[in-house]
Parts: sequence; structure tokens; C-alpha cells
Amino acid sequence: MTATTDVAVAKARIDWSKPVLWLFAVVLVALILLPMSWLAVFAFTTKARNPTLQNFITLFSDPDFLDPLLTTAIIATTSAAICCVVAAPISWLVSRTDMPGRQTIRALVTASFVTPPFLGAVAWELLAAPNSGLLNQLYRYLAKAESDAYLFNIYSLTGVIFVISCYTFPFVFVLVANALDNMPGELEDASAILGGKAWTTARRVTIPLALPALVAGSLIAFLQAMTLFGSPAILALPAGFHTMTTKIWSLFQYPPKLELAAAAAVPLLLLTIALLQAQKFILGRRGYSVLGGKYGPPRRVEMKGWRWVALAFCLVMLLNPVFLPYFALFNAAFSPNATTLVTPGTFTLHNIVFVFTELSSTQLALKNTVILGTATATAGTILALVIAYVTTRRVIAGSRVLGFLATAPIAVPGIVLGVGLFLSYTRPPFVLYGTLWILLIAFLTINLPSAYQQLQAAFATIHPELEEASRILGAGRLRTLWRITAPLLRTGVIATWCFIFIGVMRELSAAIILFTSQTKVLSVLIYDLNESGDLAAISVLGIAMLVITFAVVLAVNRIPMFGGSAGAKLRNA
Amino acid sequence: MGQKISRRDLLRGSAALGLTAVSASVKAAAPEPTAITPALIEAAKKEGKVVLYSSMDLPVGEKLGKAFEAAYPGISVQIERSGSERLFQRVDQEFASNIRAADVINTSDSSHTIPWKKNGWLAPFVPEDVAKHFPEQYRDPDGMFALSRVYLSSIAYNTTLVKAEDAPKSYADLLDPKWAGKMVKGHPAYSGTIMTATFQMVREFGWEYYEKLAKQRVMQVQSSTDPPKKLALGERAVMADGNEYNVVLLKEAGQPVEPIYPTEGTPTISGPTAIFASAPHPTAARLFQAWLHTRETQQFFIDFTAQYSVHAQVQSKPGRRKITDIKLMKEDPAGVEAMAEEIKTRYARLFRV
Amino acid sequence: MASVDLRRLTKRYGSVAAVDDVSLRIDHGQLVCLLGPSGCGKTTTLRLIAGFLEPSDGEIHVGDRVVSSKARTLPPEQRNMSMIFQSYALWPHMTVAENIIYGLKLRKIDRDAIAKKLAAILATTKLEPLAQRYPGELSGGQQQRVALARALIVEPQTLLLDEPLSNLDANLREEMRFEIRRLHDEYRYTTVYVTHDQSEAMTTADLIAVMNGGKIDQLGTPEDIYARPQSEFVARFIGASNVLKGTARDENHVSYAGSTLRVTGAKLAAGQNASVAIRQHDIQLSTQAPASTENTIKATVMRQVYLGASRDYVVETAGGDSLRVVTPTDAAVDKGREVWLTLPPDRCRALSR
Repeated sequence: MTATTDVAVAKARIDWSKPVLWLFAVVLVALILLPMSWLAVFAFTTKARNPTLQNFITLFSDPDFLDPLLTTAIIATTSAAICCVVAAPISWLVSRTDMPGRQTIRALVTASFVTPPFLGAVAWELLAAPNSGLLNQLYRYLAKAESDAYLFNIYSLTGVIFVISCYTFPFVFVLVANALDNMPGELEDASAILGGKAWTTARRVTIPLALPALVAGSLIAFLQAMTLFGSPAILALPAGFHTMTTKIWSLFQYPPKLELAAAAAVPLLLLTIALLQAQKFILGRRGYSVLGGKYGPPRRVEMKGWRWVALAFCLVMLLNPVFLPYFALFNAAFSPNATTLVTPGTFTLHNIVFVFTELSSTQLALKNTVILGTATATAGTILALVIAYVTTRRVIAGSRVLGFLATAPIAVPGIVLGVGLFLSYTRPPFVLYGTLWILLIAFLTINLPSAYQQLQAAFATIHPELEEASRILGAGRLRTLWRITAPLLRTGVIATWCFIFIGVMRELSAAIILFTSQTKVLSVLIYDLNESGDLAAISVLGIAMLVITFAVVLAVNRIPMFGGSAGAKLRNA
Repeated sequence: MGQKISRRDLLRGSAALGLTAVSASVKAAAPEPTAITPALIEAAKKEGKVVLYSSMDLPVGEKLGKAFEAAYPGISVQIERSGSERLFQRVDQEFASNIRAADVINTSDSSHTIPWKKNGWLAPFVPEDVAKHFPEQYRDPDGMFALSRVYLSSIAYNTTLVKAEDAPKSYADLLDPKWAGKMVKGHPAYSGTIMTATFQMVREFGWEYYEKLAKQRVMQVQSSTDPPKKLALGERAVMADGNEYNVVLLKEAGQPVEPIYPTEGTPTISGPTAIFASAPHPTAARLFQAWLHTRETQQFFIDFTAQYSVHAQVQSKPGRRKITDIKLMKEDPAGVEAMAEEIKTRYARLFRV
Repeated sequence: MASVDLRRLTKRYGSVAAVDDVSLRIDHGQLVCLLGPSGCGKTTTLRLIAGFLEPSDGEIHVGDRVVSSKARTLPPEQRNMSMIFQSYALWPHMTVAENIIYGLKLRKIDRDAIAKKLAAILATTKLEPLAQRYPGELSGGQQQRVALARALIVEPQTLLLDEPLSNLDANLREEMRFEIRRLHDEYRYTTVYVTHDQSEAMTTADLIAVMNGGKIDQLGTPEDIYARPQSEFVARFIGASNVLKGTARDENHVSYAGSTLRVTGAKLAAGQNASVAIRQHDIQLSTQAPASTENTIKATVMRQVYLGASRDYVVETAGGDSLRVVTPTDAAVDKGREVWLTLPPDRCRALSR
């Protein structure tokens, strides 16, 4: 019996996959290269656009420029070290021991990450300003000290380092905890069988295996600390010093010295690239571990009597980024005077009323921020998904270059990108300055690398044969991406979307350069309010910002059909 | 019962303000004064919005906006608040990129009006009240801006932390080592108020004064609205410069702060308001400008914002110091414009930020 | 239905040719097996046929269409082929039924037709009770049948199988071998089957192409390959062979280990180096000198193992070579004894390469 072919042969159709993928590639290239080219042009030419190195000479012979460079180096190094010292034990406790409250600790670390660093800086002003800070008031009360004695001065180099560390350590934590989570239990079993006690196993087996992740994390922390704008801007000015980022921003004061700003951005850029190369070198060719390998779950070390001590340690550490600052913000929101403790007698809703009914920028800023957050997250997820697909499956020629470009923005500090975008889009043919588009481009560029890396790692868990099976049956690349790959990546896609949304909410360094009165976002509004000293309004807006972020993340995780075709359900094969 | 400002007061005040009398050809250059007519109001309502760039203290500014919205329902006021120097840079940036977002601007650095006029960015418009009730010395010959408010940058102290008899009485007192680490001040690269004040101080005392002040470990903030607030929080004991009107408002609200008018004289700041020729809501802008200079609004300035007005018909609030009783330093917008770059650079060098 | 024609197909990675100048014609309705060790290029060839790889040189024709060439390669979705993957590649987020009808839905067949075809294939592959389950809930054998069903339901022009049985246990593998052949006989699709397992190839294929180092070493029916290997590689790879290296005396005589062997197979030239293959169980072993001295060699027993169904000997010839001989279990010869090996001429295959 020969089979009758009443099944129609798929006609030769135009294959849209390749052109669409090329289009994405072109978009990516334009996104990254355009601002960088303009930055280079401004850095290496005079106002008349003649090539010169004069900008660099001017900068490097000026002590006003070298001091911030040194300060930034000190801040970044110290912060990175502190982050490692804090994050490593906490991740080990959470991942490899039976300490109680592990899920809570993880959630609190996530809360630290979600909190924008500039908001944390303002909250710490409320807590640790030498004379008016809540903690110092407490100290004076308890120690019955003089009225000008203080324990903490947040307006200092130490203060800046402290606040930056508080909100950078989650980066290290995530990397180390992930490595520890995926470490096969058999490895520690082997050590235990040979007689190694818990501490020996930790020292000889666990820690060396987690070392690469720790190194990677410390480099990321260094980069973050080096390129933050908000916290130094809020705390360093009263302390009387500049960092590289605040210096670059100050070059925008009238009359703007754009050539110097571009030239000042170059050392930051080069240093970042060098560190990333060092990281690659140290870690070698280590790719992403396939999740859910054939190994057993991690063996949990029994803490016995130490359990509660460990938990206490974690909670005390998390006082700093979460408990104390949130308390200070809530207190200031309801208090007539931002650093006076609220009592039933002095409780007031005046600040909330002011922010939501009288402050004319509130609605606009809220609207802009939510629109930008949603748009960036959606566009960024799609872009990252397609690019991750192209590079993982090597679909078009030069996909390695695309992968490099997708991660390249990590090397560009936010404020540098802001400068580059400003230079690119304040001139024809694309005058996007003054629209939300330029902010969208900035946020997209800044958040693309982490989105791309997350989705790339997720792709590694999907066997290419799953896609090939779809293609051989007649589905083109794009349809396969939509019907097979994306649903299987559902959790990764959602996580990436949320990650980008959070990233947009907490972005200040690029926004501060690119906004105009009609395109103001919450982060910039908060910064402006800090400049005029309206701390209570900041507290209310900051709390609103946190509420929005948490609400959106929770809501997105609840939507059942998100990202998949109707009825698509995920089962592990 | 309030007292009317006498003509003699005005003249004394005007000398202090340094606005020299202008030539008789004034009236020829400026356009005809415009009254607030129902037609103007109707047209403004159609535009529905006015965007104000202002450096006024935020709650104060928003209160002003709400008052306008109450007077003319249907027109919303959006206030973009920033320090005047920063506003100046933003305006420059926006005009360079052809962005027309601002309708009206109120600045505390009157030297800004000079380049704006030169660039042709301002629209001539003379409210009726300005023509009728503002003394000639306070009017722009070309009718491009109007003097909406006058105020001071003074010293002040926190009454819980400092006893009245110990408080500094003069600028010279601020250099006393006992105030090291206890002071807070604004920054001229950001705040128009501080820029203007610094110019007057340098003119009076030379740069040596600031060289000495820089050694006092002064807490540096940006806006002139911030030092009074830091004072109220108890963060510092003394403010070396900042908005006097903020201090007065805080004091009247029960906060432990007290203004000081230094024996050498107090820097004076005038806050002109101008309409942009490229305003996206031109009629609403004109209505706002006209409304801003009526007797009611100028009285509002005095009563609710503790600032001063040059409108002939306003009355000072009882219980407050009259501007005529204060020794003032003279204003000189042209001088500020010439010296602005130098002030920013030298100050940044001295105070390291 | 169509034939598949590989013409001088080549795929290079850098300087290495994974598929090297392969030409092969698979007639319509035939099942051809690509058999070889890992790294021989069989999977690469299959993926070239499927369109997942583009050839460096050469062409692939399906029927009268050129589907792959150096210039242009049709993507997999336009080739009307079906493939069963080594990992089965069942989509975990779809039920068994949804997996199976995926291809039909792409071809826009109407609902009723789909339902009918689904019912038919479920019956054929005995998957009816499992239609609504998810792949994660199925055993290896069941998953394999779903993969089969999914591939067959679209009635492809060409069916490709990539080591479909390697993930199954031994018993199931045997059963499925016959199942696949039975289905092929029923539907008669042009099929290309890749495997490294000879018994699979022998059971299922019409033709076997033994591949080594990117080339087809020998193409023939299972019997051809087994009984008449043409190269040392095929001789060793299929069945268990000894390969004796000697020197040719004339067309069909080879001198080896002091004896002369009459051989069949390739025509030899006197004086050339000759390789002769003989299966291990074709060598006769005896403790006494046989009657005829034709094709006899003396050897010493080095090792003897009792395997239940046979005895496995390792013997050493006068020339120092080790040969393996498999005999029935009756007589056991101990280590160290001298034996005579008789190599029947019709079982001695002279190899051409």
C-alpha cells in the first residue's frame, strides 16, 4: 500500500525569517554604535571638529579632574570588597545550610535590589545626617551626649561607600547564590565521606567552586559602584567632593563643555572594558551551566546551635539596605518634619496630600515612568529574545558580533551613555531629545545586556532539536520561535520582563541628562526634590515608586497566559 | 493695620535695588499695556494649560499655581522647579534642539534676561497693572519682563542650637572658628539667588571673604531653598546664605529658626518673569503674566510667601520686617552677567565642588 | 514520493571535511541506512539532507528539485520531509495529540481531516490511551512511538531517522527495529536511517552505506556488506573479522604465515600487499592436522574462554599474529597446545582496500 498524498506539499514561500532577523541586528547595531561614535567624535575633536587630543590634556592636567578619578577608584574598590564580604556568607547560609528563614532572606535581598540606590541615599540622609539624623538622635538620647555629637556622618566618603555597598551587594549575592544553588550535592558528599567536617568541606570544596562566581560578582559590584550617579550626587556634594559621574554631570552646567564631558567619559569606558576582559580571563571559557543537571540537590549543612546566630547575622546585615531606610521613609512621609519621629499626636497626611494633589509634576512623572517601564520591558524582552536566539542558534552570519554588541552596553556607564545619546539625538536627522523616545532608547540600551544574558542562559536549557523538529515539519524560524521556544522560555521571559521594568524604575544616571520638563520620570523628580531639600515629598514619592514596582512584578507573575499561546502549559520533559 | 509703602520708601528701596532710572524713551519701545479681559480669559481657557519654569520654593510655587487654577478653572499650571542657573542651562539646551516646552519663566538671576533678550527669545508683553502701578525704575524698557517679586538672601540660625546672644550678627562673624562645621549654604552654579548674592558679596568684600569662608567646613547644598530647611531639621546651626522668605515662613509655622540681617548689608534678589516668544500656550501665558502682577496676586506674594513686591498698592504684613528697615546691597544684573563664569569657576575651586 | 540524490556532497568545517565527496542515490520507496562509528559523518549527511546544514560543495536533489547546493539551500520547512530525532524532541508543553498534529496544522488541513488522520496513526502506533498525556509522563518507548507518529502523519516525501533507537533498552530496541521496518513496508516512504548499530542496519535496511571518515566506504545490501566486504574497515566493522596481512602470489593466492591461502573477492596482482578477511566463526580449529593442506595454518592457543553458546580462542600464528576463532563448545583446547586452523577459501575475502 502506498500512501496517498492528500497532504499538500508546503509551497515554497518567501522566507521572512532572515530579513526580520537582519532588521533586529541592524537595530541593535544602531542602538549601540551611534551614541558611542558621537562620544568619540566629541572626545577627540575640537568645537570646529578638528581632530585633537587637547580635551584629554585639559582634563588630565587639571587637579579638579584627577581628584574625582582617584575618589571614584577608592569608592569602587572599597564597595566591591564590602559587597563580597557581606554577600558571600549570606549566600552560603541561604544556599547551603539549613538556616531557618532562607526564603525570607532571599526576598529581602530582592527588596534591596529593587530599591533604587538614590532613594536609599535619601533615606540614609534621614537616618545618619550628623545632626538631624534619626540614628544620631537616638545615639544622643541614649548616650546623653552633647547636642553636636554624632555617631554617623553620612555626608562623607565613608557614607557614600556605605550607601553604595548597601544597594550593590545584591549583584554579588545573586551570582554566588546561583553558583552554590547549582553545585552538585555529590561533591560535598564526597568530602563528607572522606571525613571532612562541615567547615572543612566549606573551605576546601564549596568555596573554591564558588570562587569564580565571587570574582565575577566583585567585578560587577566594582563597575556598578564606579558608575552610580544618584548616591554620590546626593551625598558627596554636601561632603565637599566630586566623583567621576558628578564631575561629568557638572560639565553640563552652562555653558556646557560637551567635549570635556565626552573626554571625561572615556577613562570610565576604558576601565570598564578592561575589567570585563579581566573577568573573562579569570573565569576562562566557562559558559552557563545547564540548569537542572543530572546531579542531586545540594546537601544542606546542619547549623545546629549556630542557626539562630546565622539568621541574626543576616537580618542585621539587611537592616542597612531595607529595614532602617524603609522605616525612615515611612516616618518622613507622615511626619511634619522629616527627621522627627512620628507620634500619634504629630501624625499628618499633609505630605501625601501635597505630593498627590498640589505637586504639579507628580502625575506626569508617574505616567511617564510607567509608560517607559512597560514599553522598555516589552521591547527589551523581545529584542533580547530574538538576539539570544540568533546568537545561540547561529542563525545569521556574524552572530558572534551580535552577541558581543548585545553585552557591550555593560561597558558603558549610564551617564556616559546619557552623554552619547544626548550628542546623537540633539541633532538632525533624528532629533529625539525632548521626547520619551530618547529615554526609551537609553533605558533599552542600559538594560539589554542583562536581559540578553538571562535569556541566553535560558536558551541553553532548550535542546536545539526541539526547534528542529518544528522546522522539519514545516514551520519557519519565526513561527518556531513563537510556538515552541518562547512558551518553553516562559518563566525566563517573564523574569526578564520584570528585571527590565525594575531597571527602568531605578535608572537615574542617563535620565538626568536626557529629560525635559515634559518627559520627566520619577527618579529625576526625586533627585530634583532632593536638591531643593523637600525630603518629605521624596519619601512619599519613593514609597509610591516601590509600591508600583512590587505591584507590577506581582501582577505580571500572576498572568497565566503571559507569553504563550492559549492553553500552553509547561511540563518538564 | 498695614502701612502703605510711601513714595519715599520706594525711592529708598529702588536705590537699594540698584535699578537706575531709565531714559524717557521708555514708553516708545514697550508695547501697549494689556488688561485682563473676558476675551483673553476665553482664549486662554481654550489652550488649557500653562507651563511655568520657576526657581521659587516648591510648595510656595505650587501654592501660586493652585491660586491661578482657582481663579481660572480650566487652565492647569505645570511647574518645572529647578535652580535658576540650572533652568538657564535647560532653556539653552531646549532652544538649541528646537524644543518649545516652556511658556513662562520666573528666574532669581535677573542677569539671565539680558542674553534672552539679545537672542530674541522673549515676547514683549506689558500687563496693565505693571503699566499703572509699578514704578518706572522696576519696568523693563522693552516690556520683555516684569519684576514679580523681590526677596533677600540672609543669614539665619536655629534657635534650639544657638542662643540669641551667641548668634552671628554680621558676615564677619561667620568667619569665627566657633562656627566651623556648623554652617550650611547654597551654590551659585545651581541657584540664581546664590549667584546674585555671591556677586554682591564679592563686590562688597572681595574674594578673600570666600577664601576664608571656604575653610569653615561649610555644608554645601544646591538650592537656596535648602539651607532654611536644613536649619529647621537641626542639621546645621547657622545658614550663611539662603532664602530669607523660607526662614520667615518656617518661623511662622513654629519651627525654631530666626533670620539675621547682617550689619554690612543683605544681598537683594529680584525675580523677574518673562514670556517666551515660542510659548506653546501663548495666550494662557499672557493671562498668567497679567494675573501674576495684579494687586491681589502681589499681595498674595507678601501675605503667603513672605516675599516683597514693588506694586504700589500692596501692604506689608504686620509682624514682619519691612524691607525699608533693612540695609540692602544693590543689585546689578549686568555685573552678574559679566562675572557669572568667573564666579562659578572660582567658587568651585574654593569649595571643591 | 521522490528519490533522494546526493551528488558529490561535501561539508567542511575549517580544513576538516566532515562529509567528503559523498554520492548516493536513494530510490523512491527505499530505506537506506547510513552506518558507521561516531564521527564518520553520517549524522552530518543526514542534517545536510534535512537542510539544517548548508553544503560546502556538491548538491542534493529530491525528485527533480535541487534542494541543496553551494549557491542556494532550501530551508528545512520547505522540503516536505519528516525527521525523528535521537532525543525524540517531543514538545513538553503540548500533549501527545498536539505534538502529533502539529505538522498537519501547519499545512492548514481542516479539523475533521486532522481528527481522522490522528485516530488512524494513534491506532497504528498503539498510542490511543495516551493521547492526552504529556511527554514527561511517558516512558522512553512510548515517547519514541509518539515521535514516529508525529513524523508519519504528515506523509512526507522523505523520512529521516537519526539514531532513533539508541535511547531505548535492548529488548525494546529489538522490538522497535521490526516495527520500523513493518511501518516502512506499509507506507513505503523514501527513508534515510542513521545508526551505529549493525543489527539495526541489517534488520531494517534495503541498502546499507557504510561510512568512514566522511566517505561512503561501501554501499550494498546487508548480505553484500556482510558476506562480501571490500575494505578492511567494513570487514572489521561488520561482524567479527580477522584481517590477515600477507603478500599476493597471484590473482587469488596469498602467502601468509608460511602457508598459501586461496582467496576469493578482489583480484590481486602478484607481489602486492594483500589483506584477507575471514569471520571468526568461519575458521575451523582442530588439534590434528587436517586431511587437506589447502588454506591451513599452524598456531598456538594463547587463551580460551567458554561463553556458553561457543568457545572463544585467541591463537598466535607462526608469524606472530593474533587471531580470534569462535568454535562450537564440544572440544576444548587448552592454552599452549598446538592447533591447525583451516580457512575455507570461499570464506577468505581478499579486500580491495
